Amino acid sequence: MTPDPLIETKSLSKKYEEGETYTPALNDITFSIHNGEFVSIMGPSGSGKSTLLHILGFLDRQTGGTYKFDGRSLESYADEELAGVRNKKMGFVFQAFNLLPRSTVLENVRLPLLYSDIKESLWDEKAKEAIDAVGLTQRINHEAFKLSGGEKQRVAIARALVNDPQVIFADEPTGNLDSKSGQAVISILEKLNIEKKHTVILITHETETAEHAERIIRIVDGKVESDKPVERRRSGSEFYK
Amino acid sequence: MVIKYTLKTSISALQTHKSRSLLTILGIVIGVAAIMIIMSLGEGAQNLILGEIQSIGSRVVAIHPGRQPQGITDIISTFGDSLKEHDLNLLSRKENVPHSAEIIPIVFGTQAATYGNEIYRPIIFGGTPLMATIYNVYPSEGNLFTDDDVKSYANVVVIGAKVKTELFGNTDPINEKIKINGRNMRVIGVFAKKGQSSFINFDEAVFTPYTTAQSYIFGRKYFDRIVVQADTEANVSQTVADVQSTLRNSHNITDPTKDDFYVETQAQAMQMVGNITSVITLFLAAVAAVSLVVGGIGIMNIMLVSVTERTREIGLRKALGATNKNILSQFLIEAVILTALGGLIGVALGTGASFGASYLLTKFAGLAWLFSFPLNAALLGVGVSAAVGLIFGIYPAYQASRLNPTEALRYE
Repeated sequence: MTPDPLIETKSLSKKYEEGETYTPALNDITFSIHNGEFVSIMGPSGSGKSTLLHILGFLDRQTGGTYKFDGRSLESYADEELAGVRNKKMGFVFQAFNLLPRSTVLENVRLPLLYSDIKESLWDEKAKEAIDAVGLTQRINHEAFKLSGGEKQRVAIARALVNDPQVIFADEPTGNLDSKSGQAVISILEKLNIEKKHTVILITHETETAEHAERIIRIVDGKVESDKPVERRRSGSEFYK
Repeated sequence: MVIKYTLKTSISALQTHKSRSLLTILGIVIGVAAIMIIMSLGEGAQNLILGEIQSIGSRVVAIHPGRQPQGITDIISTFGDSLKEHDLNLLSRKENVPHSAEIIPIVFGTQAATYGNEIYRPIIFGGTPLMATIYNVYPSEGNLFTDDDVKSYANVVVIGAKVKTELFGNTDPINEKIKINGRNMRVIGVFAKKGQSSFINFDEAVFTPYTTAQSYIFGRKYFDRIVVQADTEANVSQTVADVQSTLRNSHNITDPTKDDFYVETQAQAMQMVGNITSVITLFLAAVAAVSLVVGGIGIMNIMLVSVTERTREIGLRKALGATNKNILSQFLIEAVILTALGGLIGVALGTGASFGASYLLTKFAGLAWLFSFPLNAALLGVGVSAAVGLIFGIYPAYQASRLNPTEALRYE
């Protein structure tokens, strides 16, 4: 018997209300993702993939259908509880990095721990571990705005990792990077998936990037167009040092 | 979330916009500094005046003629001539006022005094030699008149330092004669220069026996004051009661509300002066406090700007697990730090300014002014500023906490 999926959506939909007209952003989305999977969600811009990620990441709520995360449905959480789930079970990597520019690498990575119930005495140790995992130990006391784009995104990944989440959501993580830095970032995600068994959900519009995952879900006009395993999976390990 | 990190976050956010933060708190700084200066100077003035009263001596009981004024119209209906020689005799008797140690009748008024072609209008005090003891003024040249001079209606005067310069210039005034109300008076002493440091400016006064003043200068039979000095401080209230009953008997008064005299002690005078200066100080401080409100609005304005500017950061923090409460407290603490800092700077500036003012008052106005640090005002100033931050920070902080994380992350 296969274990219960980590993420399970059924007929998920999201409509934005503007006056009297409803703009559908997502329509009848149904899929499951299991623990330890590396899944890409692909689609052209405006297809609704970011909206989907926001719902999956407990940053937004659907308007129809159901979404179960780790066996419990999103509807059953109160708004204030969502913050706790995001903090403990989810990690986020954004296209625009979203680091605190004047804070150091260590302070940035420590940020989610401030909102956790982990003991303060463990914060630095955990943050250093995460920084080591993305290979930035030598930059630990640099202010974030002084880093290169690729380094910034690696700090963001370390920040996503620091609470040891069940799933890492990466929203176009290579969108603002040159191809070499982008490859390095993808390689880290790949490594985290393979070596540390983190579930990774990668949102991208680039086929090349998407093919690092084991499975691709294509979204077009708010609907699932296809949901297939990747036949020839790319590996970026040669870029990762 | 550990408070230490919230504080650190808030402080580093404020450091990022140093000059903006400083300008923002300027209103608070000025408000608190103004309150500090007013309170400090108010307290200083109060101490100065109270010190003056105290220097008269705590055993002094002053009897004024006329009813104690209850309002402006009362001043007109007082009985200015109610204290007579007869009253003085009754009050002097041990059986009437047993705890009286000294008794001094006083008459005063202004009259022109001339020496040669020089003319000056001093305040003329008629009393006994004891008056000098009570007001702590002594001649620096010559002598005071004696009790015998009082008995013999002697035509002698002791003059103030200013009277001396006005009438005599550099001439030695001792044993010279000045003319007051057509009568020649021999100058037997000159008071040491005291400056404007008392209710009575002795520099501008002329002292003479009360008998002389009554008969030859003012031509009246009543007294403007009778001062009784109790033997001990503890007997002051008993002495007041004895004086009142003696005078009521003498004036055939049965209803105390119809008294044609009133008795004042140093304690009463101090209380009255203390009340008046406190009310004035508080009123001025309240006016200054208005600027704190204006400063608070400035804080609110800047905090709203800050929330808008940091929309992305707020969205990120929420995505990473910050609750609405975390965000609310972060922005509230930021506002409170800003205003409390403003309060502290205000206290420091206000203290400096009042210290400077008291130095100038001592040095250039010749007042015995003591700098006082109004601890209450300082604590209140910092406390109220922090409260202003809390009150005016709530709205922006609430706005920040309510931001939708997806909107906030999308914000450019």
